[in-house]
Amino acid sequence: MADLLSVTFSALADPTRRAILARLAQGEATVNELAEPFEISLPAVSRHLKVLEGAGLISRGREAQWRPCKLEPERLKTVDDWLSVYRRFWEQSFDKMAAYLKELSAGESDGRAKKKPR
Amino acid sequence: MGARRKSLADNELLIVRTFNAPPSVVFAMWSRAEHMKRWMGPKGFTCPEMAIDLRVGGRYHGMIKSADHGENWFGGVYREIVPDKRLVFTFTWENDGPSAGLETVVTINFEERDGKTIQTFHQAPFRTVERRDGHVGGWSEAFDKQAAYAEKIAKEQAA
Repeated sequence: MADLLSVTFSALADPTRRAILARLAQGEATVNELAEPFEISLPAVSRHLKVLEGAGLISRGREAQWRPCKLEPERLKTVDDWLSVYRRFWEQSFDKMAAYLKELSAGESDGRAKKKPR
Repeated sequence: MGARRKSLADNELLIVRTFNAPPSVVFAMWSRAEHMKRWMGPKGFTCPEMAIDLRVGGRYHGMIKSADHGENWFGGVYREIVPDKRLVFTFTWENDGPSAGLETVVTINFEERDGKTIQTFHQAPFRTVERRDGHVGGWSEAFDKQAAYAEKIAKEQAA
Protein backbone atom coordinates (compact mmCIF):
# COMPACT_ATOMS: atom_id res chain seq x y z
CA MET A 1 0.00 0.00 0.00
CA ALA A 2 2.76 2.42 0.94
CA ASP A 3 4.59 1.60 -2.27
CA LEU A 4 1.46 2.33 -4.23
CA LEU A 5 1.09 5.69 -2.51
CA SER A 6 4.76 6.50 -3.17
CA VAL A 7 4.32 5.70 -6.84
CA THR A 8 1.15 7.79 -6.97
CA PHE A 9 2.75 10.74 -5.24
CA SER A 10 5.85 10.69 -7.39
CA ALA A 11 3.56 10.62 -10.45
CA LEU A 12 1.68 13.63 -9.07
CA ALA A 13 4.87 15.52 -8.22
CA ASP A 14 5.31 16.67 -11.82
CA PRO A 15 3.38 19.78 -12.96
CA THR A 16 2.97 18.53 -16.54
CA ARG A 17 1.45 15.30 -15.29
CA ARG A 18 -0.88 17.23 -12.99
CA ALA A 19 -1.94 19.36 -15.96
CA ILE A 20 -2.58 16.21 -17.99
CA LEU A 21 -4.76 14.85 -15.20
CA ALA A 22 -6.64 18.13 -14.97
CA ARG A 23 -7.34 17.89 -18.69
CA LEU A 24 -8.50 14.29 -18.36
CA ALA A 25 -10.81 15.25 -15.52
CA GLN A 26 -12.90 16.90 -18.25
CA GLY A 27 -13.08 13.77 -20.35
CA GLU A 28 -11.11 11.23 -22.37
CA ALA A 29 -8.41 12.48 -24.72
CA THR A 30 -5.90 11.12 -27.21
CA VAL A 31 -2.15 11.60 -26.88
CA ASN A 32 -2.24 14.26 -29.60
CA GLU A 33 -4.95 16.19 -27.82
CA LEU A 34 -3.04 15.96 -24.56
CA ALA A 35 0.20 17.14 -26.15
CA GLU A 36 -1.39 20.23 -27.69
CA PRO A 37 -1.15 22.69 -24.76
CA PHE A 38 2.45 21.72 -23.88
CA GLU A 39 5.69 22.68 -25.51
CA ILE A 40 6.99 19.15 -25.36
CA SER A 41 7.31 16.38 -27.89
CA LEU A 42 4.84 13.55 -28.35
CA PRO A 43 7.35 10.99 -27.01
CA ALA A 44 7.76 13.12 -23.90
CA VAL A 45 4.00 13.19 -23.39
CA SER A 46 3.93 9.43 -23.92
CA ARG A 47 6.51 9.01 -21.19
CA HIS A 48 4.38 11.06 -18.80
CA LEU A 49 1.35 8.97 -19.70
CA LYS A 50 3.30 5.80 -18.98
CA VAL A 51 4.12 7.09 -15.49
CA LEU A 52 0.49 8.01 -14.87
CA GLU A 53 -0.67 4.65 -16.13
CA GLY A 54 1.89 2.85 -13.97
CA ALA A 55 0.55 4.71 -10.95
CA GLY A 56 -2.99 3.67 -11.82
CA LEU A 57 -4.06 7.28 -12.25
CA ILE A 58 -5.12 6.77 -15.86
CA SER A 59 -6.02 3.92 -18.15
CA ARG A 60 -5.70 3.73 -21.91
CA GLY A 61 -8.05 2.35 -24.50
CA ARG A 62 -7.28 -0.77 -26.52
CA GLU A 63 -7.76 0.60 -30.03
CA ALA A 64 -4.24 0.67 -31.42
CA GLN A 65 -4.57 3.91 -33.36
CA TRP A 66 -6.17 6.20 -30.79
CA ARG A 67 -5.67 4.67 -27.38
CA PRO A 68 -7.69 7.38 -25.64
CA CYS A 69 -6.59 8.18 -22.08
CA LYS A 70 -9.06 8.14 -19.25
CA LEU A 71 -8.79 9.33 -15.67
CA GLU A 72 -9.04 6.68 -12.96
CA PRO A 73 -10.48 8.67 -10.06
CA GLU A 74 -10.19 5.87 -7.50
CA ARG A 75 -6.46 6.38 -7.13
CA LEU A 76 -6.90 10.11 -6.63
CA LYS A 77 -9.35 9.30 -3.90
CA THR A 78 -6.59 7.36 -2.15
CA VAL A 79 -4.49 10.52 -2.17
CA ASP A 80 -7.42 12.55 -0.90
CA ASP A 81 -8.01 10.10 1.93
CA TRP A 82 -4.33 10.12 2.85
CA LEU A 83 -4.35 13.90 3.05
CA SER A 84 -7.54 14.17 5.06
CA VAL A 85 -6.27 11.65 7.60
CA TYR A 86 -3.10 13.71 8.06
CA ARG A 87 -5.08 16.95 8.20
CA ARG A 88 -7.25 15.62 11.00
CA PHE A 89 -4.20 14.26 12.76
CA TRP A 90 -2.38 17.59 12.86
CA GLU A 91 -5.38 19.84 13.43
CA GLN A 92 -6.42 17.86 16.47
CA SER A 93 -2.82 17.77 17.69
CA PHE A 94 -2.59 21.55 17.31
CA ASP A 95 -5.82 21.93 19.30
CA LYS A 96 -4.07 20.06 22.09
CA MET A 97 -0.96 22.21 21.65
CA ALA A 98 -3.05 25.37 22.03
CA ALA A 99 -4.67 23.98 25.20
CA TYR A 100 -1.28 23.02 26.62
CA LEU A 101 0.15 26.48 25.84
CA LYS A 102 -2.79 28.02 27.65
CA GLU A 103 -2.10 25.79 30.63
CA LEU A 104 1.57 26.85 30.62
CA SER A 105 0.80 30.56 30.51
CA ALA A 106 -1.90 30.23 33.19
CA GLY A 107 0.68 28.55 35.42
CA GLU A 108 3.00 31.48 34.84
CA SER A 109 0.54 34.26 35.54
CA ASP A 110 -0.58 32.50 38.72
CA GLY A 111 2.96 33.09 39.90
CA ARG A 112 3.45 29.37 40.36
CA ALA A 113 6.68 27.62 39.49
CA LYS A 114 7.87 28.81 36.10
CA LYS A 115 6.91 26.32 33.47
CA LYS A 116 8.26 28.35 30.61
CA PRO A 117 9.91 25.95 28.21
CA ARG A 118 13.14 27.80 27.59
CA MET B 1 -15.78 16.30 -10.80
CA GLY B 2 -15.10 19.45 -8.78
CA ALA B 3 -13.77 17.62 -5.76
CA ARG B 4 -11.62 15.38 -7.94
CA ARG B 5 -10.00 18.30 -9.67
CA LYS B 6 -9.34 20.01 -6.40
CA SER B 7 -7.46 16.95 -5.19
CA LEU B 8 -5.07 17.27 -8.13
CA ALA B 9 -3.59 20.40 -6.66
CA ASP B 10 -3.97 19.23 -3.09
CA ASN B 11 -1.31 16.59 -2.88
CA GLU B 12 0.30 18.45 -0.05
CA LEU B 13 -0.89 19.75 3.26
CA LEU B 14 -0.74 23.35 4.47
CA ILE B 15 -2.06 24.31 7.90
CA VAL B 16 -1.58 27.86 9.17
CA ARG B 17 -2.31 28.41 12.81
CA THR B 18 -1.71 31.22 15.32
CA PHE B 19 -0.75 30.33 18.85
CA ASN B 20 -0.93 32.67 21.79
CA ALA B 21 2.73 32.36 22.75
CA PRO B 22 6.04 33.71 21.43
CA PRO B 23 7.96 31.75 18.74
CA SER B 24 10.56 30.52 21.25
CA VAL B 25 7.81 28.76 23.19
CA VAL B 26 6.04 27.34 20.12
CA PHE B 27 9.38 26.17 18.71
CA ALA B 28 10.04 24.38 22.01
CA MET B 29 6.71 22.54 21.57
CA TRP B 30 8.42 20.74 18.67
CA SER B 31 12.01 20.64 19.81
CA ARG B 32 11.67 19.31 23.35
CA ALA B 33 10.33 15.85 24.03
CA GLU B 34 8.69 16.72 27.35
CA HIS B 35 6.57 19.31 25.57
CA MET B 36 5.85 17.32 22.43
CA LYS B 37 4.51 14.49 24.57
CA ARG B 38 1.81 16.81 25.86
CA TRP B 39 0.13 17.50 22.53
CA MET B 40 1.28 15.07 19.83
CA GLY B 41 -1.52 12.92 18.43
CA PRO B 42 -5.17 13.49 17.60
CA LYS B 43 -8.07 13.51 20.04
CA GLY B 44 -8.17 10.39 22.17
CA PHE B 45 -4.44 9.67 21.79
CA THR B 46 -1.62 10.12 24.27
CA CYS B 47 2.04 10.34 23.40
CA PRO B 48 3.91 8.35 26.06
CA GLU B 49 7.18 7.98 24.14
CA MET B 50 9.21 10.72 22.53
CA ALA B 51 12.95 11.02 22.01
CA ILE B 52 14.55 13.95 20.22
CA ASP B 53 18.10 14.42 19.00
CA LEU B 54 17.87 18.00 17.81
CA ARG B 55 20.65 18.47 15.27
CA VAL B 56 20.73 18.30 11.49
CA GLY B 57 20.88 14.59 10.68
CA GLY B 58 19.67 13.72 14.19
CA ARG B 59 16.63 11.51 14.68
CA TYR B 60 13.43 11.77 16.62
CA HIS B 61 11.31 8.79 17.50
CA GLY B 62 7.98 8.61 19.24
CA MET B 63 4.78 6.71 19.82
CA ILE B 64 1.17 7.70 20.20
CA LYS B 65 -1.52 5.37 21.43
CA SER B 66 -5.23 5.09 22.01
CA ALA B 67 -7.57 2.38 23.28
CA ASP B 68 -8.99 1.87 19.79
CA HIS B 69 -5.84 2.13 17.70
CA GLY B 70 -3.11 0.72 19.94
CA GLU B 71 0.49 1.88 19.66
CA ASN B 72 1.62 3.82 16.61
CA TRP B 73 5.31 4.52 16.19
CA PHE B 74 6.66 7.30 14.05
CA GLY B 75 10.02 8.94 13.46
CA GLY B 76 12.25 10.90 11.17
CA VAL B 77 15.41 12.92 10.68
CA TYR B 78 15.98 16.65 11.13
CA ARG B 79 17.07 18.38 7.95
CA GLU B 80 17.07 22.02 8.88
CA ILE B 81 16.97 23.75 12.25
CA VAL B 82 16.73 27.51 12.70
CA PRO B 83 15.86 28.03 16.37
CA ASP B 84 12.52 29.77 16.91
CA LYS B 85 12.10 30.27 13.16
CA ARG B 86 12.10 27.12 11.08
CA LEU B 87 12.18 23.37 11.40
CA VAL B 88 12.36 20.79 8.60
CA PHE B 89 12.23 17.06 9.22
CA THR B 90 11.14 13.83 7.58
CA PHE B 91 8.12 12.06 9.02
CA THR B 92 7.31 8.37 8.58
CA TRP B 93 4.83 6.01 10.23
CA GLU B 94 6.54 2.78 11.21
CA ASN B 95 3.44 0.63 11.74
CA ASP B 96 1.34 -1.19 9.19
CA GLY B 97 -1.41 0.76 7.55
CA PRO B 98 -2.13 2.82 4.48
CA SER B 99 0.70 5.29 4.83
CA ALA B 100 3.25 3.20 6.73
CA GLY B 101 6.75 3.52 5.36
CA LEU B 102 5.91 6.48 3.15
CA GLU B 103 8.42 9.21 3.88
CA THR B 104 7.03 12.72 3.98
CA VAL B 105 8.79 16.02 4.66
CA VAL B 106 7.42 18.43 7.23
CA THR B 107 8.41 22.09 7.05
CA ILE B 108 7.33 24.45 9.82
CA ASN B 109 7.91 28.19 9.87
CA PHE B 110 7.36 30.23 13.02
CA GLU B 111 6.72 33.93 12.70
CA GLU B 112 6.23 36.39 15.55
CA ARG B 113 3.30 38.79 15.35
CA ASP B 114 2.32 40.95 18.33
CA GLY B 115 3.68 38.45 20.81
CA LYS B 116 1.86 35.57 19.13
CA THR B 117 3.23 32.99 16.76
CA ILE B 118 2.01 32.23 13.28
CA GLN B 119 2.94 28.64 12.63
CA THR B 120 2.91 27.59 8.99
CA PHE B 121 2.93 23.83 8.77
CA HIS B 122 3.58 22.10 5.46
CA GLN B 123 3.73 18.39 4.78
CA ALA B 124 4.28 16.66 1.50
CA PRO B 125 5.60 13.41 0.14
CA PHE B 126 9.34 13.41 -0.29
CA ARG B 127 9.61 13.95 -4.02
CA THR B 128 7.06 16.70 -4.13
CA VAL B 129 8.86 18.78 -1.57
CA GLU B 130 12.24 18.29 -3.22
CA ARG B 131 10.78 19.81 -6.32
CA ARG B 132 9.09 22.57 -4.39
CA ASP B 133 12.22 23.59 -2.52
CA GLY B 134 13.81 24.53 -5.81
CA HIS B 135 10.65 26.20 -6.99
CA VAL B 136 10.31 29.77 -5.83
CA GLY B 137 6.77 30.08 -7.14
CA GLY B 138 5.44 27.38 -4.86
CA TRP B 139 6.99 28.77 -1.74
CA SER B 140 6.29 32.42 -2.39
CA GLU B 141 2.69 31.47 -2.90
CA ALA B 142 2.70 29.79 0.49
CA PHE B 143 4.25 32.84 2.08
CA ASP B 144 1.72 35.13 0.42
CA LYS B 145 -0.99 33.06 2.02
CA GLN B 146 0.80 33.33 5.33
CA ALA B 147 1.08 37.12 5.00
CA ALA B 148 -2.59 37.45 4.10
CA TYR B 149 -3.52 35.33 7.06
CA ALA B 150 -1.32 37.35 9.40
CA GLU B 151 -2.93 40.56 8.21
CA LYS B 152 -6.38 39.13 8.77
CA ILE B 153 -5.43 38.16 12.31
CA ALA B 154 -3.92 41.56 12.98
CA LYS B 155 -7.09 43.29 11.75
CA GLU B 156 -9.27 41.10 13.90
CA GLN B 157 -7.16 41.94 16.91
CA ALA B 158 -7.31 45.66 16.19
CA ALA B 159 -11.10 45.54 15.81
